[in-house]
Amino acid sequence: MSELQIEEKMKAALEAKFQAANAIVQRKNRVWAEIEPSKLPEAMAWLKAEGYGHLATVTGFDEGENLGAYYHVTDTHVLVTLKAKTPRANPVLPSVLKTFPGGLSYELELQDMLGIKVEGLPPGQRRYPLDEDFPTDQYPLRKDWKTEEYLAKNPLFKPEAK
Amino acid sequence: MSKITIPFGPQHIALKEPENFMLVLEGEQITSAGVNLGYNHRGMEKAAEGRTYIQNLYLIERVCGICSHSHTTTYITNVEELAKCETPKRALAIRTLFAELERVHSHLLWVGVAGYEMGFETLFMYTWRDREQVLDCLELLSGNRVHYSINTLGGVRRDVSAEQKAEVLKRIDYLIERTNYYIKLATEEPTVAARTSRVGMLPPEVAIERNAVGPTARASGIARDVRKDDPYLIYNELDFKVITHNTNDVYGRLVVRALELVESYKMIKQILNNLPEGPIAVKMNMRIAPGECVNHYEAPRGEDIHYLKSNGTDKPERLKVRAPTLANLQSVAYMLEGGWLADVPLVIAAIDPCMSCTDRAVVWDPKKGKKQSYGWEELRKMSIEQYRRRGVDFTRL
Repeated sequence: MSELQIEEKMKAALEAKFQAANAIVQRKNRVWAEIEPSKLPEAMAWLKAEGYGHLATVTGFDEGENLGAYYHVTDTHVLVTLKAKTPRANPVLPSVLKTFPGGLSYELELQDMLGIKVEGLPPGQRRYPLDEDFPTDQYPLRKDWKTEEYLAKNPLFKPEAK
Repeated sequence: MSKITIPFGPQHIALKEPENFMLVLEGEQITSAGVNLGYNHRGMEKAAEGRTYIQNLYLIERVCGICSHSHTTTYITNVEELAKCETPKRALAIRTLFAELERVHSHLLWVGVAGYEMGFETLFMYTWRDREQVLDCLELLSGNRVHYSINTLGGVRRDVSAEQKAEVLKRIDYLIERTNYYIKLATEEPTVAARTSRVGMLPPEVAIERNAVGPTARASGIARDVRKDDPYLIYNELDFKVITHNTNDVYGRLVVRALELVESYKMIKQILNNLPEGPIAVKMNMRIAPGECVNHYEAPRGEDIHYLKSNGTDKPERLKVRAPTLANLQSVAYMLEGGWLADVPLVIAAIDPCMSCTDRAVVWDPKKGKKQSYGWEELRKMSIEQYRRRGVDFTRL
């Protein structure tokens, strides 16, 4: 397994330093690991110091009991994906903007689309990506949010008369 | 001098698509800039969860009017990885061919837009005329100019015949000749250099910090290209260079894109001359076992990344799409700061923000209630007729 040396080393380091769970080397250039949200900013700072300086994107998810996000970080060759889960009842994730200032729109997206509160965002942010008159207590990417129900409740979205 | 904040967009004549820049001005100089987005949110990620994998292919193609092939290829790479599908080599080669033709069409379009924004409208007319050649190639190969729909689960939908190959190579030779002229223009024409040098500066350390991708990053001297760094399709078998430039300004972005065109022509020729034999598609199971994967792709504007999670059904559990412009817009705010108001359209255009374009016209006559669509030949004939009535004859062209 010499060709996966970098990936295996990354996996081992994440497990040792940040107690990462379910860490796997999926294939060449792909490493996945799950970490505690409290360790996220620290892990991101470490990754950046190791040369993984590009936060490709952040994918929010809804797994039922838990909400959370995948942070896809890369040194342009190896793509490391960190998974952070947070309970649905009180979903909070720490911001990684201190390390990756370019990730602002990704974090705003977590707040708007999944209702995960991101702690440590700079104040005075406009919402993104949803429209300013979209209800603030509805989160479209949650699995229990149904497009049809939303459209049915809103008289403005009546199908156009042909 | 007192500071004034002006909103630039979301509807502004210098912008081709809705986005908003809050510019704080001191006289003509910009002291700070903020980017606001979300005016064009279409809910595609949610929509994808309610559609089957094959239906999503057509949805994802419409994420972008120019990078249509980029998005479907990234999506389909994910689907095929999850389904453990062995895509035939010939299909991968044809996908790569389309990817490079798309880059040529996108870069030529950009050179035109940049020319237009710098007040060099002849360049705009020239490049858009030449871009028709590559659009004709795409139409010849796929039947469509912009949304090629060449990808399908397990392969591609159309093969490349010997006649098509000859025709494409003929047009590429013409484009090589034209592009050499544009490179000469970009590097030697003093007005171009004067208008673009030291405009929209993005130092490499800021480009890295703000996650810049594609030609925007490469013009700041960062050799970042997914095709080389994490090869997909058949890029590891192709001979090409990653073009970088170290002037960190709009001029650098122009040079990078112009030189990348040459690399794309090289790759198109390599692919067409060495097309592997074999089938173009294999059958694939439409239900995909639970799993997740993430893949990226070097679109004309930079890194495009998709995450896909399957749940055992024929519909995805979650699909995440991040297009290159979203990554690059964080850098635009930096590029604008300290610059001049008159440079704003050029700086914004320099990252090549994405817009859609369409070709065929549909005419609807409300009195008769009749619909008629016109193809290229008919539109051309009609316009020649119209000018002839005015006394100008274009039939020789």
